[in-house]
Amino acid sequence: MKTRKLTCVLAALLALVMVLGVAGCGKKDGRNEDGIYEFTMFIAMPGSEINDDNEIMNLIAEKTGVKVKETWLTGQSASEAVGSIIASQDYPDFIDGGDGMMALYDEGILVPWDEYLEKYPNLKEMYSDEEWNSFRQEDGHIYWANVFQNTYGESRATTHNDEAFWIQVRVLEWAGYPEIHTLDQYFDVLTRYAEANPTMGDGLTVIPYTMLCEDWRYFCLENAPEFLDGYPNDGSVIVDTSSGTPTIVDYNTTPTAKRYFQKLNEEYKAGNIDIEFATQTYDEYIAKLSTGRVLGMCDQWWNFAYTINDVFKQQGLDKQGCNYVPLGLTIDEGMDNRWHTYDDTLNNSSGVAVTTSCPDPDAAFKFLNDLLDQEIHDLRFWGIEGVDYLVDENGLYYRTEEMRTKAADKSYQASHFCNYSYMPQYLGTSRDGINAMQPNEQTSEFFQGLAEPLVKCFEAYGAENYPDMIGSVVEHNAPWFPMYSYSNNMTTATPGGVAWTKMGEVKHEWLPRVVMASDFDKEWSDYMSAYNAVDPGAFLAEMQEELNRRAG
Amino acid sequence: MKSKRISWREIKRQKFLMICTVCFVIYGIIFYYLPLGGWIMAFQNYKAKDGFFGSEFVGLDKFKFLFSDSTFLQVIRNTLAMGVLNLVCTFVMAIVFAILLNEVRLMAGKKLVQTVSYLPHFLSWIIVTGILHDALSSSGIINELLVKVGILDSPINFFAHKGYFWPIVAFANVWKETGWNAIVYLAAITSIDPSLYEAATIDGAGRWAKIKNITLPGIKPTIIILLIMNVGNVLNAGFEVQYLLGNGLIKSVADTIDIYTLTWGVGQNDYSLGTAAGIFKSVVAIILIVAANQIAKKTGEEKLF
Repeated sequence: MKTRKLTCVLAALLALVMVLGVAGCGKKDGRNEDGIYEFTMFIAMPGSEINDDNEIMNLIAEKTGVKVKETWLTGQSASEAVGSIIASQDYPDFIDGGDGMMALYDEGILVPWDEYLEKYPNLKEMYSDEEWNSFRQEDGHIYWANVFQNTYGESRATTHNDEAFWIQVRVLEWAGYPEIHTLDQYFDVLTRYAEANPTMGDGLTVIPYTMLCEDWRYFCLENAPEFLDGYPNDGSVIVDTSSGTPTIVDYNTTPTAKRYFQKLNEEYKAGNIDIEFATQTYDEYIAKLSTGRVLGMCDQWWNFAYTINDVFKQQGLDKQGCNYVPLGLTIDEGMDNRWHTYDDTLNNSSGVAVTTSCPDPDAAFKFLNDLLDQEIHDLRFWGIEGVDYLVDENGLYYRTEEMRTKAADKSYQASHFCNYSYMPQYLGTSRDGINAMQPNEQTSEFFQGLAEPLVKCFEAYGAENYPDMIGSVVEHNAPWFPMYSYSNNMTTATPGGVAWTKMGEVKHEWLPRVVMASDFDKEWSDYMSAYNAVDPGAFLAEMQEELNRRAG
Repeated sequence: MKSKRISWREIKRQKFLMICTVCFVIYGIIFYYLPLGGWIMAFQNYKAKDGFFGSEFVGLDKFKFLFSDSTFLQVIRNTLAMGVLNLVCTFVMAIVFAILLNEVRLMAGKKLVQTVSYLPHFLSWIIVTGILHDALSSSGIINELLVKVGILDSPINFFAHKGYFWPIVAFANVWKETGWNAIVYLAAITSIDPSLYEAATIDGAGRWAKIKNITLPGIKPTIIILLIMNVGNVLNAGFEVQYLLGNGLIKSVADTIDIYTLTWGVGQNDYSLGTAAGIFKSVVAIILIVAANQIAKKTGEEKLF
């Protein structure tokens, strides 16, 4: 009798579990009770999640019928995160997989854009036919669109949204705004300042120079040699045109590379480089920069400035001259620099994509289209009229100082602003022909928002904005630019791709070692033999092939 | 010894037990043996899109790649080294700790120490590594202490030197698991007949002599069994600790087979290579555990099977 009772209970439990399991598998149609689609999006970059009851998100949802819950990369590398999403077979509705896009394409889980491009004019308008074609994969379809560096109408660029050796304006001010063209001059002024001003107001010691080496962000350490030689940001290689035919050159092995790392080695030994540089994570790096104690570093603007500038503003560090300005360094005096890219950079290797698990792809693409409507675009980047910005009699948008401070406040950003930052968007001039698409490009806003030390620095160098400050050669992008859009999507299916992965591993380990070496020459030659052992030639050959195709 | 024949009558009599057993056999087949079918990936150029049946067979290519890859040989070395180091340290520390704790006469103190010491076991590795990372950072408590005491002139970056990594991992394991592992030994010690101790006391044995001649021989079977079981685990030297504490600079000593599997299998989408590495690990683990068991058998000690 007793056993039967137990069996009954067990059976009932089992049945319950099965019912729950089946109910859990029920297919969602994706709409909530108000008829609004609630889509999900994964972005393979770290970012800050916004609140579920975010005001502008709800406003956009009312107007477009869609809201998107964004989740960001935490703790993993981008390709691992995308790999685990693929392995779980549980896809978000939208995805920006960073350098894992190819893996997603290979899985066949992305929805082709082609028919929707014809249907939705705003999407089509994003790129020219030729540019769209560059997004086509082997099967002839378009699966994603990069959303960045896309200028509408006239360019309004005020920032140097590229890589540079950055320096705090207070250092330049203290040194009397000297001309700085080479690494030697750069480190000289950093160290002299640090000697004269060893601590911050709050007692923290200053760090003359740091650099980030984590995961893919190790470009901060790794790719400076290509710029120091005066080449633009092809990312993974140099394209040398001096012989007439464009040729791939490996910037890891140039004499400039050796000189650059030797310089870093000397400065490290002299105690001028952060001893934690090799082991810090991105979060630690940003936290370090946020204190204002780091005088200089090599980095991309988008990698630090959006966070750091807000923090400086909140803490009043901008008034103390902690903001960074870019310097166009080269290896020797008197060379042209190409740190700044004047045209839009079309990185067709990644972007936003819609996955096959999206219950209604048409609604998803319509949403992408709607996001580019001027009204919605203004909501995303400017905010709500009368609350976040005002309009003067000429139709020019402007913000009060109070609005500007509020817009830099993290908790206000989370509860109020929703810019869907990895969804289609524009830089440049608004469709009204007066305003900029994004506030940081509005000339009047830009100047109003600058702290006094920055203004003084720009004046001293006769610059009006960041690109003037770095003073790169003005030229158009070469047809093959940027080459990194090819190397980013290499997979280990080809020998070149395997070499590329292994080169990355070798450099991740050896570059910090070289910088920290007690015997530089020995370490460098060890590094070179480890580097050559992974067959970089296979990688370079595949890059040359692609270069010929693009230049062709 | 002749093994007893099992008759149908007996099976009928033990119907309920048989049904229970069958359930667990089925459970074992489904959850332990069926997934092994996935091993076929290691012999294919597996693409999730094409599935097991559509993917191209490549024979032993993936294994050839593995063993010609110097990084893989490096991660085997790291895994073994850290595995052995962790095993020896946690094993010895747990026994020593259990014996010391057993010698404490004050009951309340004993209970308190035991409870406090096994609490770290319940912290997840992400927290433990977070604590370690902070404590060992250049402005952390360890550096601060060493500088203040005058052992160091300036703070050092512990995670930038290859030599420190294995000891740090071993220390983390000891810190986290000693108290927990000691529980088994404490239980084994309590099962030793108290009259042995009394007799020894009468014979004039001191504490040390009693530990050496009664406690240690008393828990020897437990020690041997746990040792055999743990030897099989040597290759599970860890994933989280190394993954969370490692960095590019010390990759060559920090990466384990599990991390290799992750970076190639999941990160580079090469499931086949990841599976091949996984198979290798399992095979080595089986060899190790059988060998340890054989040795124990030979020396006439307790054995697992």
